[in-house]
Amino acid sequence: LIEDNLPDAVLVREALEEHGVEGELLVIGDGAAAIAYVETAKDRLPDLVILDLNLPKRSGREVLRAVRQAAAFRDTAVVVLSSSGAHQDRADALAAGARQYIRKPLLLEEFLDLGAIFRQMLESA
Amino acid sequence: MQVLNTSAMTRSPLAGVDRQFSAGGVEFCPDDSTDVYRGKLARLVLDELPGFAALLTTSGILLARNRAADPALIGKSLWETAWWRMGPSVQFELREAIERAARGEAVKHHLNLAPPEMPVTDFTLSPVRDAEDRVVFLLLCGIAENQADERASALLSAIVDSSDDAIISKDLNGQIMTWNKSAECLFGYTSEEAIGRSITILIPPDHLEEETRILERLRRGERIDHFETIRVRKDGTTLNISLTISPVRDANGRIIGASKIARDITDRVQREHALEQANADLQQFAYSASHDLQEPLRMVAAYSELLKRKFGGKLGPEADEYIGYMVSGASRMESLLRDLRTYTQVLSGNAEPPGEIEPARVLRTVLANLEVAIADSGAIIEHADLPRVCMYEFQLQQVLQNLIGNAIRYRGAETPRIHISAERRNGRCLFAVQDNGIGIDPQYKEQIFGIFKRLHSAGEFPGTGMGLAICQRIIERGGGRIWVESQPGRGSTFYFTVAGAKSERQSNTGLDPVDRRQSPGRGAGARSA
Repeated sequence: LIEDNLPDAVLVREALEEHGVEGELLVIGDGAAAIAYVETAKDRLPDLVILDLNLPKRSGREVLRAVRQAAAFRDTAVVVLSSSGAHQDRADALAAGARQYIRKPLLLEEFLDLGAIFRQMLESA
Repeated sequence: MQVLNTSAMTRSPLAGVDRQFSAGGVEFCPDDSTDVYRGKLARLVLDELPGFAALLTTSGILLARNRAADPALIGKSLWETAWWRMGPSVQFELREAIERAARGEAVKHHLNLAPPEMPVTDFTLSPVRDAEDRVVFLLLCGIAENQADERASALLSAIVDSSDDAIISKDLNGQIMTWNKSAECLFGYTSEEAIGRSITILIPPDHLEEETRILERLRRGERIDHFETIRVRKDGTTLNISLTISPVRDANGRIIGASKIARDITDRVQREHALEQANADLQQFAYSASHDLQEPLRMVAAYSELLKRKFGGKLGPEADEYIGYMVSGASRMESLLRDLRTYTQVLSGNAEPPGEIEPARVLRTVLANLEVAIADSGAIIEHADLPRVCMYEFQLQQVLQNLIGNAIRYRGAETPRIHISAERRNGRCLFAVQDNGIGIDPQYKEQIFGIFKRLHSAGEFPGTGMGLAICQRIIERGGGRIWVESQPGRGSTFYFTVAGAKSERQSNTGLDPVDRRQSPGRGAGARSA
């Protein structure tokens, strides 16, 4: 999970727990650190990348580009989870190789329901 | 003093004329004696005078008159004539003048009355003597034309000079011909400096093509009204002006130049700019605020909810109650922000002009959106034929959804019955949404359209108080009006006007009334009335 906002990171964790996803959740809090990780990671690679767009240092778009360019992440699904509802952001993310674009839901219930989507993506990975 | 010559002369001055002729109704014969000839000539001259000429006795009785005078007055007193009745001051002045002339004085007098109240303003009285008595010769005439022109132009130039607007005239080559005092103040050039120079001294270089266009229009005889532009002063500073330019024609109707009236609107333009800027800033602020507040609010809302889910019932009843307040507060705040965003978005212009739409179709969407509320309340919603209108579909949807939603929400004890109708009026469409709900106290009928205005507590009826404000904004942005008529306890009817479709065609979906029945579910239905 690449997300600078801790409360959102916790909500993602809650969502995963809610839907019985087991495993390790690695949280990276800024864009530069995320790119560094993507470019150097060799083992224990993630099955799913959940990416916020509005990140400190380097943007989520740059992170997405780095992920798509890293050979190690060639088959890794990326889901963008952003608070932006702009059509352009969605279109850009999907064009850059994101599997899904999800706007952060306002309601807790809906946020927790995202766990089902994450689970499904992990199972099909 | 003149004396009428009564001595006879032997030779006719017209002896060489062998034909008799007439002029002005007076017949001249070749054999007229000089006296007769003179008498006739005098008659002729008198008759040709444009004014009233008459012989009066010293007591004011008319003895003879020219053609300009009313023949019925002969033998009567001057006081019986029309102009005599102009008032005591005229009476006094005339009587005095006659007395002075009777004493042998030649009197010239100007009556200080302006036309049309007094068509004749100058008179002369000359003492003459006939064989028996003294007679007064009275000549009354209108103001000499050139004198009238002088007076009119003096008046006009006084008006021009006292005007707050700059009044300038120029010829068709753009050369300044006249320049009033306000033009001096406004542009900084004295009339000596300005007259004879080109009008382009006032025009900023990047506006010079305006003058070409203005001159073209003037040559065609067109007038230019309230043209708002920029001009430059002698000191180089610019000012906003509103120009009215009219062609000036000579006596033959030929266009010889133009008069320009320039009004300084710098203050107004600056105020308008400031206001526009302030409005834009405010709108941007409201939009960003409602956007940026959304994120932290999402945290508050999600975590108060999470707290309730995970720890509800574990922290004691008081904690549960407090968490409940947090949850409902956050959710209310969310609704407010959402509505505030909608409200500010109404202002931000749409690039595309609104198209013609079918309100019945919009209504179907609205009823589908309100499906749950309609089913829960058992509301019966009917509509008449709705003519096509010209507006943004989503805006009509917002308006109808708010009004119908309110009609359901503010229902009384009875089953809510809501009727939507519309009719064309002068190219616009008047909609009416009528309900049998709790109604609105007339004293609040304006207030309910205010932002965040509510007449009930959230406990009685939920809502943000933004719905009608949004409706009003949408309708007024479209040049329409929205208002309510209501009797508390009996129901309300909300009216609004929107632009009608250009075609007169009535809304006709081609479906029969059964198909047009709006029945979004669970038995509660809307049907076409």
